[in-house]
Amino acid sequence: MKSVPKLIGRFIGILLLSIFLLLVLNFFVLFFFSINQSPSDSPYTIAEEIADKLYKTDSGYAMDNATLTFLQNEDIWAILIGENTKTVVWHTDNLPNTIPATYSLSDISSLTSGYIEGYPTYTGDTENGLLVLGYPKDSYWKHLWPSWDYQFIAHLPRTFLVVLFCNVILIFIIYIWTTGKLSRSVNPIVQGIRDLAERKQVQLKEKGVLSELAMNINQTSQILKSQERELEKRETARVNWIAGVSHDIRTPLSMVMGYAGQLEDNPDLTPEERKKARVILRQSKKMRNLINDLNLASKLEYNMQPLNPKRINVIALVRQVVVDFINNDIENNYPIEWKTDDKLSSCIIQADEDLMKRAISNLIQNCINHNENGCTIYVMVHTIQNKCMIIVEDDGVGATDDQIEKLNNTPHYMISDVATTEQRHGLGLLIVKQILQSHDGIMLIGHSKYAGFSVTIELPKK
Amino acid sequence: MSLNYLKQKRILLVDDESQLLDMVVSILKEEGFNNIRTAKNVKQALETAEEYSPELAILDVMLPDGDGFSLMKKLKTIADYPILFLTARGEDEDKLKGLGHGADDYVVKPFLPKELTFRITAILRRSYKDDNPTVRLQDSEIDFERAEVIKNGEHIALTAKEHSILLALYRNAGRIVTIDTLCEAAWGDNPFGYENSLMAHIRRIRQKIEKNPSQPISLITVKGLGYKLTTEES
Repeated sequence: MKSVPKLIGRFIGILLLSIFLLLVLNFFVLFFFSINQSPSDSPYTIAEEIADKLYKTDSGYAMDNATLTFLQNEDIWAILIGENTKTVVWHTDNLPNTIPATYSLSDISSLTSGYIEGYPTYTGDTENGLLVLGYPKDSYWKHLWPSWDYQFIAHLPRTFLVVLFCNVILIFIIYIWTTGKLSRSVNPIVQGIRDLAERKQVQLKEKGVLSELAMNINQTSQILKSQERELEKRETARVNWIAGVSHDIRTPLSMVMGYAGQLEDNPDLTPEERKKARVILRQSKKMRNLINDLNLASKLEYNMQPLNPKRINVIALVRQVVVDFINNDIENNYPIEWKTDDKLSSCIIQADEDLMKRAISNLIQNCINHNENGCTIYVMVHTIQNKCMIIVEDDGVGATDDQIEKLNNTPHYMISDVATTEQRHGLGLLIVKQILQSHDGIMLIGHSKYAGFSVTIELPKK
Repeated sequence: MSLNYLKQKRILLVDDESQLLDMVVSILKEEGFNNIRTAKNVKQALETAEEYSPELAILDVMLPDGDGFSLMKKLKTIADYPILFLTARGEDEDKLKGLGHGADDYVVKPFLPKELTFRITAILRRSYKDDNPTVRLQDSEIDFERAEVIKNGEHIALTAKEHSILLALYRNAGRIVTIDTLCEAAWGDNPFGYENSLMAHIRRIRQKIEKNPSQPISLITVKGLGYKLTTEES
């Protein structure tokens, strides 16, 4: 199945593209947040700024009201630890009670990087000591021991790329594994659907993630198979029915033909009576042709006529058919003229001899059937490039342009699926068409240059 | 050669339809065949064959107590004579096409009286030789046995090819035989490109059998199609 690798390929493409886009997106988001965390807002810078705002007075230390209000509003407390005394020399009014008043060096070290009593603290330098801001509890989280191996930081861009690459590879492997698993379960389904289209019997294993789908395909296959069997049964029944009916008509028709033939030749009868016998005979011959045609047409239509193709010389075959007609045309109402060039002695095609004979005799019989008062029939075989052409035409009543158009293009009632009230024509030409179809040939109906009807058959030469 | 000796041959006719039997008998009688026995099933056919020893059997394929093919096999074990089948088409026709079953020919129902009698005469002529085996033409006689033509009391020898061609024409006397069939009779299978040779042979045959070879009466050309031999009987 060609489409499965294509499908997987396309998904891998989409996956790689999405990974790339996601990385780009993350990068931008990170960038955006970093921008937002602007230096002016950072507690470290605020602590530095506020330290600058503290000034010394005669009675101690003081700060302007605006800064004090800001601290008040933000719920931030502040203390100033004296340079030498290591005690709180100044503080804001909102200082919690739990904050100690004196500090050792180690206290100062830890509050610089961390907390006092759970309050995140930030420091700013002043001339007289260290200003400490205490932010409300849980307003910031501080990383207490931020230190990395120097090499690690130095190679950070490369490390980042390696990790990224490893991640992509890992994702890729996971994807391949899962799609491989999926395609293993999809492949039989795809094959099954293809088999359905080729009218094969499908029986898939109903397991795995797609078991329900497999079950549906199996059911469809069964339905299709049973429909096909049903159709075949019906077609066989129809062919058998036609064969049976025509078989049963043959024996009674033998008697009609036999006795009519005898009466026609009986010298004791009056010419009038013998003429009547002749009419009976002619009509029963028509019935005979019709039964033969009906049987063959139904077999050809449902592909139940076995073909035995072999190399045959069309000229010899057509000549034999023509001669058979002449030999059997006792009244000589339908003289046949052989118009084939004498220099052309062979034209070889690959065909079923009996069917091809049948096609030619149907064409000649067609001329006879449509010209009750007799006509001359002209038969010609010639070759054009790699085609063999057989032309059967007559100087009889012919057909109108309209009728010819219909004969060439409208399906015969026997194979038409629309109900028709059209005047029905015989099966002779339908059979010719069917026979030609099975031999890669075509049939063209038209006007004859002898003023009657003309049929041209084209067959590929071998 | 008179065909009368053929008309005296004993014929066994087997079909389960008694009306069809009556009709075939009347057709044959009208044609001059006099020795005909009929049977309606395999059992009767075997009994009749035993006592009548027919020289030709005409069998229907479908019989109430068996089929024509197995009946033929049984008949052939008693004596060997030509068999003609009457068939109502369908699968039996395919079987008969090969005629591998030992049948000599078959006629598909419904048939014209003339078709049936022509086939019967052809089979009998092939199978039984006349005591006086010459064929009479307008101006001469052909003796196929000796491969010679007798014209004005003079005996003229036929070559092998001439003999084959004449025999093929005689077997279909009164009917056109195609160029291709005649070439096949003389030169065997796939006889392409022999048309001119055939014309030369026909010319020589005419010199032997016709009074005036440039205006033939017995061996006529049908332009582009073939030739027709007219005998005194046909």
